[in-house]
Parts: sequence; C-alpha cells; structure tokens
Amino acid sequence: MSNPSAGASSKSKVGSSQPSETSFKRKRGVFQKDLQHMMYGFGDDPNPLPETVALVEDIVVEYVTDMAHKAQDIGSKRGKLSVDDFLYLIRKDLPKLNRCTELLSMQEELKQARKAFEVDEEKLGTLE
Amino acid sequence: MKQSKDPFEAALEEQEESPPDSPVGEDELNSQTPNEPQNQTNGGHNLLVDDDDYDNIGPNIKNPSHPSSSSTPKLHSTSVNANVATRATTKNKEYEDEEEEENVEVELSKFPSSADPAKMAKMQAILSQFTENQMSRYESFRRSALQRSNMRRLLVSITGSQKISLPMTIVVCGIAKMFVGELVEKARIVMTERKESGPIRPCHIREAYRRLKLEGKVPKRSVQRLFR
Repeated sequence: MSNPSAGASSKSKVGSSQPSETSFKRKRGVFQKDLQHMMYGFGDDPNPLPETVALVEDIVVEYVTDMAHKAQDIGSKRGKLSVDDFLYLIRKDLPKLNRCTELLSMQEELKQARKAFEVDEEKLGTLE
Repeated sequence: MKQSKDPFEAALEEQEESPPDSPVGEDELNSQTPNEPQNQTNGGHNLLVDDDDYDNIGPNIKNPSHPSSSSTPKLHSTSVNANVATRATTKNKEYEDEEEEENVEVELSKFPSSADPAKMAKMQAILSQFTENQMSRYESFRRSALQRSNMRRLLVSITGSQKISLPMTIVVCGIAKMFVGELVEKARIVMTERKESGPIRPCHIREAYRRLKLEGKVPKRSVQRLFR
C-alpha cells in the first residue's frame, strides 16, 4: 500500500486543503511522546523506532479524521455533532464501545464526586 | 491535606494484605500523594479502568519480556507522571472525603469500576505474579493516553466547529488508544509470522494496517484520494 509511504507529505497537503478556520498545519510529532509510551504498553520495544512512531501517528490522525468526517455526516442530519455520533460509528466494535461507555460513566462519576466535594468544602468553610 | 492520607492509607493497608509481591503498591502511592492541581482537567481522561480490556491484553502481557534496560521503566514512570496524574477510585466514601483522592495515581493497587470482587481478585492474582518487566509494560499500558488538548485541537481543525464537548474528546482519545493497540498487536503478530524480532518496523505496521482494513476495522474514505 503506497499510502503510508507518501503519508508524511500528503498529510500536510491535506491539512492545508481542509476548509478549517483554525490554522492547524499538521505539525510533526503532536502525539509522539504519548505514542511512545502507548506502543511500549501494547507490546513494542521500550524505545520504539522514531519512524514507526511517526507512521503510527499518521495512521491515527487519518483514522480520527475519517471517523470525525463520518460522524459529522451522521450528526448533520440531527443538527450538530454529538458524542452519540461517534458511539454509533463504533457500535459494531464491541471492545471499543464498552470502553467508551465505561469512560463516559467514569467521567460522570467524577463530575458528581467533584460536585459533592465542593459542597463539602463549602460546609467546612462555613463551619470555620 | 492530612485528611487525604487517612482514607488512602486505610485503603493502602487493605491493599497490602492481598498481593504481597506486587512491586508497585506502596512506592507508587507514596510518590503520588503530592497534589497536582494543574492536571485536574485531565481527571476524567485518564481513568484507566478497563475490566474488559484485561481479558484482551491477557495474552499480550504474557509475552516474553523484551530486553529492556533498567533505566527505561524509570523513564516511563517519571515522564508519565508528569503527563498524567489522575485516577479515581470508585469507593464512594473516598470521593466525598477528598478531591485530591482523584489526583493520586492509584494505578495498580485499586481496581475499581464494576467493583466486581471476583474480577478484582482475579486481577490481583495475575498482577502479583508479574515480573518487573511485565509490570512496567502494564504500567505504561494503563497510564499512557493521548493528550486531550491535542486531540481537541485536531478535532476542531477537522470539523471546523469550535464546539467540541469534553465527553467527545474523551471518547475519541479512548477510541484512538484502542486503535493503536490493535495496530501494535497485529504488527507483533505479523512479526512472529515472519519470524523477526526487535522493535517494530514501519513495514510491520503497514501490513497490520492493511489487514485491519481488510477486516473492516478502519473507516473507508468515501472520497478517493487521487493525488497523494
């Protein structure tokens, strides 16, 4: 597949041809540091090759881009883009779907917990 | 500040009873108690609670350890500490006690979420038998994450809309992380098929990506990219 080999240059072209108001020229290595740890965690060498990391980053950005475009297509029918559009896209992929619902519920719990904490702190403040 | 230690230490003592050989338990917790308020926004993001993924990564963890130098685990832990510092326990009493609770990297000593004692016990049993290499790899797996700010910037540039909600960023980061996992695991499979060893090379990733495409796990472009 010739795509990844031309991935480096084509990505910057795609970035500038996107009809986006923000000037996000695709910088190299946006996710590089995180990706290195992640790849090690998933089975790569403790120090992955830089070209491998760059390639994985390109692939991930392309993946996210395609997903976002598809989600936008779905969301445009409803009005605006929402989380559910992404969830709909991965509905067939069970591990991802479960993981996402888990993440969302944890985030809800955290929000509740923070709210509860703030209430407690107020009470403490008034007591003092 | 003192209050935060108490429920935590209580939990820690509770932890110490179970896996005696778990290497990370106390050191991890003690080194993480300094509060990092600036990472609070990442709170929801780095909740690495995945009971489902435990099963998926099972065979991966059992891989023969790669010859990693002793310095790299420290490299991972220090840089990852700077990167991510929040992990919440789901024991409700601790939530209400201290917000700092959430900022402490509970990592491996607690396995909240479904609060399924059977699963937790199984996980504890597995973790207690990890070698140092496996533990460091597992730690990297749990703690690593894509930066939410970068992801948000990327999403804004793709969609052209400024209104990217927080849950959306979290979800996309999670999906992307799992996708990386699929890629790397498949690349490792490709490597074993070709009987190669060492770090993963781009050719393996490309082959893995091609196979994922065939399986339909990669969204296809509806518009043909003609001039690459």
